[in-house]
Amino acid sequence: MPQNEHIELHRKRHGYRLDHHEKKRKKESREAHARSHKARKLIGLKAKLYHKQRHSEKIQMKKTLKMHEQRKTKQKNDEKTPEGAVPAYLLDREGQSRAKVLSNMIKQKRKEKAGKWEVPLPKVRAQGETEVLKVIKTGKRQKKAWKRMVTKVCFVGDGFTRKPPKYERFIRPMGLRFKKAHVTHPELKATFCLPILGVKKNPSSPLYTALGVITKGTVVEVNVSELGLVTQGGKVIWGKYAQVTNNPENDGCINAVLLV
Amino acid sequence: MALYNFKKIMVVPTAKDFIDITLSKTQRKTPTVVHKHYQIHRIRHFYMRKVKFTQQSYHDRLTQILTDFPKLDDIHPFYADLMNVLYDKDHYKLALGQINIAKNLIDNVAKDYVRLMKYGDSLYRCKQLKRAALGRMCTILKRQKSSLEYLEQVRQHLSRLPSIDPNTRTLLLCGYPNVGKSSFINKVTRADVDVQPYAFTTKSLFVGHMDYRYLRWQVVDTPGILDHPLEDRNTIEMQAITALAHLRAAVLYVMDVSEQCGHNLQQQLELFNSIRPLFANKPLIIVANKCDVKKISELSEEDQKIFADFTTEEILVVETSTLTEEGVMQVKTEACDRLLAHRVDTKMKGKKVHDVLNRLHLAMPSKRDEKPRPPFIPEGALIRKKAMEVDEPKRKLERDLEVELGDDYILDLQKYWDLMNEEEKNDRIPEVWQGHNIADYIDPEIMKKLELLEKEEELKERAGEYDSEEESEDEEMQEIRVLAKQIREKKFLKIVESKDKDIHGPRMPRTATKVERKKLEKEMGGLGLDMDNKDDSHYAEQARRSRSITKKRKREVSVVPTSKTRSQSASRLPRDQSGVRDPKMARMGRKMMKKSQKDMNRQGKKGEADRHVFDLKPKHLFSGKRTSGTHDYR
Repeated sequence: MPQNEHIELHRKRHGYRLDHHEKKRKKESREAHARSHKARKLIGLKAKLYHKQRHSEKIQMKKTLKMHEQRKTKQKNDEKTPEGAVPAYLLDREGQSRAKVLSNMIKQKRKEKAGKWEVPLPKVRAQGETEVLKVIKTGKRQKKAWKRMVTKVCFVGDGFTRKPPKYERFIRPMGLRFKKAHVTHPELKATFCLPILGVKKNPSSPLYTALGVITKGTVVEVNVSELGLVTQGGKVIWGKYAQVTNNPENDGCINAVLLV
Repeated sequence: MALYNFKKIMVVPTAKDFIDITLSKTQRKTPTVVHKHYQIHRIRHFYMRKVKFTQQSYHDRLTQILTDFPKLDDIHPFYADLMNVLYDKDHYKLALGQINIAKNLIDNVAKDYVRLMKYGDSLYRCKQLKRAALGRMCTILKRQKSSLEYLEQVRQHLSRLPSIDPNTRTLLLCGYPNVGKSSFINKVTRADVDVQPYAFTTKSLFVGHMDYRYLRWQVVDTPGILDHPLEDRNTIEMQAITALAHLRAAVLYVMDVSEQCGHNLQQQLELFNSIRPLFANKPLIIVANKCDVKKISELSEEDQKIFADFTTEEILVVETSTLTEEGVMQVKTEACDRLLAHRVDTKMKGKKVHDVLNRLHLAMPSKRDEKPRPPFIPEGALIRKKAMEVDEPKRKLERDLEVELGDDYILDLQKYWDLMNEEEKNDRIPEVWQGHNIADYIDPEIMKKLELLEKEEELKERAGEYDSEEESEDEEMQEIRVLAKQIREKKFLKIVESKDKDIHGPRMPRTATKVERKKLEKEMGGLGLDMDNKDDSHYAEQARRSRSITKKRKREVSVVPTSKTRSQSASRLPRDQSGVRDPKMARMGRKMMKKSQKDMNRQGKKGEADRHVFDLKPKHLFSGKRTSGTHDYR
């Protein structure tokens, strides 16, 4: 034992106090009372945090208890029935009719023609101009109101240079320009931080697409060379589309889902 | 060199606690109220402040951790090596590096989000940005969980390391396990090291302190070392090796002569040879322990040869036994002397010595003439020295007497007194006489002083200083003397009288009792004052007035007794009617009274002199955050 562990040394030489174990046992049994007192008397933010933590603790306890109980009892095993099993009174039905199959095919072809892709967020709230663009007053008497500043996160390309300030109508502030997005692969469930190549389509308005405004539901193209995907022909895929799933101006980052 | 600040490292909190502390601190120390309708710059400032505050708290605490933990390059190499052995230098540096990275990441996050918040145009957006910023900072810290746990364990262990000063005089004990190193340190110092029959009882370094030649010495006890190559050594042995390598100490290599430790002398010799390089430049002593079981002379030829070899190499071998304490002191003195000599030597060879030597100068006076001037030694000293050497019989001491008489012995110091009259030696002297403490008046010179005083008095008497001066007093003085005498007599009589009075109950002060008119006049008359015709004096009037109240009047049917006629005598007018000519004046008087009271009544004052200022809005009830229930009362 190291030289300055005085408590342990004393215990080794002289043993415990005569009432030590009794006191310890009683103190531990009093813990339940102390905990309940605390749970009843706490107020305010501390109470909320405490109750939340206690709730999760209790859930865990209940789960373990249930697990222990399950060992003792026997239950019906639902997984034994194979998939696709059909009850007896349905056995003599035929499968899907051919007519149904054909009509499904036609519907799909029509969809492809229309150019409607399957995206994770099909419907997205449209952003009005007053929301996205803020009016900037200029001029000697601050009366001219033809300039607009973008209030949402936007993407500008690599070789971007501003127009001369006197003539630029849309101002995209540097603080709101983002180059990278956190892209999640839906099947692998892994997230990567990939550089953005460009904004493909903003569902609210083509003006936003042209400006490069990124809002929720925007389809952007990202550089996936990091992932090392390869086509069937052997070519390396280095650009893919992803759809933005959060409000970047509220979170400070762009979260997107890869469109496979 | 931060040597002993290992105990001052602040506690490293776990990741969860760290996050909780910082977030609750942010909630407590920054303003909490903000509304949608505030101006946008105010809302922005509010949320930016929270982000910056959280960042600042994290930054401060992480910086403190980084500065508190010692840098392995800055401390003494002994401690650096010891920490490497115990905690693995790489792991330690990595953990601290991770903390540093986390700190920088948190700073960057805060910077980014504060920049974004400048474009926030609504409360909701600013709030979401603040939430994202705090969340990110906390996630960064959650990832450091294992580093923080490791650092906390390091801190606890580090603060418990024994405080070994690498620069002071040290004796180092080494050898196989179970040879008797811990017993040796227990004997020589006050350290209470565990001594047990199994090997590796001592698992870490132990320190004890002892004194020799008015200096403080450290004795360091190491865990036992086994004989295998350096790479195979485990942590416990490495601690011993580290101590050997870095401490400039006198090495005491302990060997077990009786071979009770489980290893024979040959193995011990091999171990000695393998760690010999570590003993370079250090005074070395071989301690042959457990000699009470087996002495060196009882060993076989080859074993004795080992010890003979040591002696030929000029290494001191001392036989000791920690059980019988034989040889322990010898080892101690030898080791200390050698180490001191070694240290002095090293210092002389060093460069710093010349600074001191250049300033010192030993002056040897040159002879003036041929006269010999030997040192003077008084006669008594020489005689006593001779007596000590020859061991002559000394005079009989009290102690000898005591021993002789045994139980009958009584300590009687009075027989040594030097008095004029020898028979008075055993007289009992009182302690108090006539209320005086005799001890206060004892003076060895008293007889001489008495003679002097008597001579003076004689002289004075002859000169005529004590003749009384009766003629110089005039008539006035004599009268005064007579009066004074009278006064004294009377006073004495009065005192005696009052003492004789038989008072039942408490003694009342003179002013509480009522003085009767008759008594007063009699006494004053006795003193010579003229007390006739004193009917309209104030005391007579008072008596009459009061009498009219206390005397009971006969009840007459026709007269209806009102409170006014009873409480006041007829001669006196009430205050608000005295001096008032007519009802008009009375009315004006009443009006004036009411007017002057109006102001006071409106302000709720008790009277004219009430200058109390009420505190209707105490600061502690109207300021600060409104936590539940603490602002309703003091």
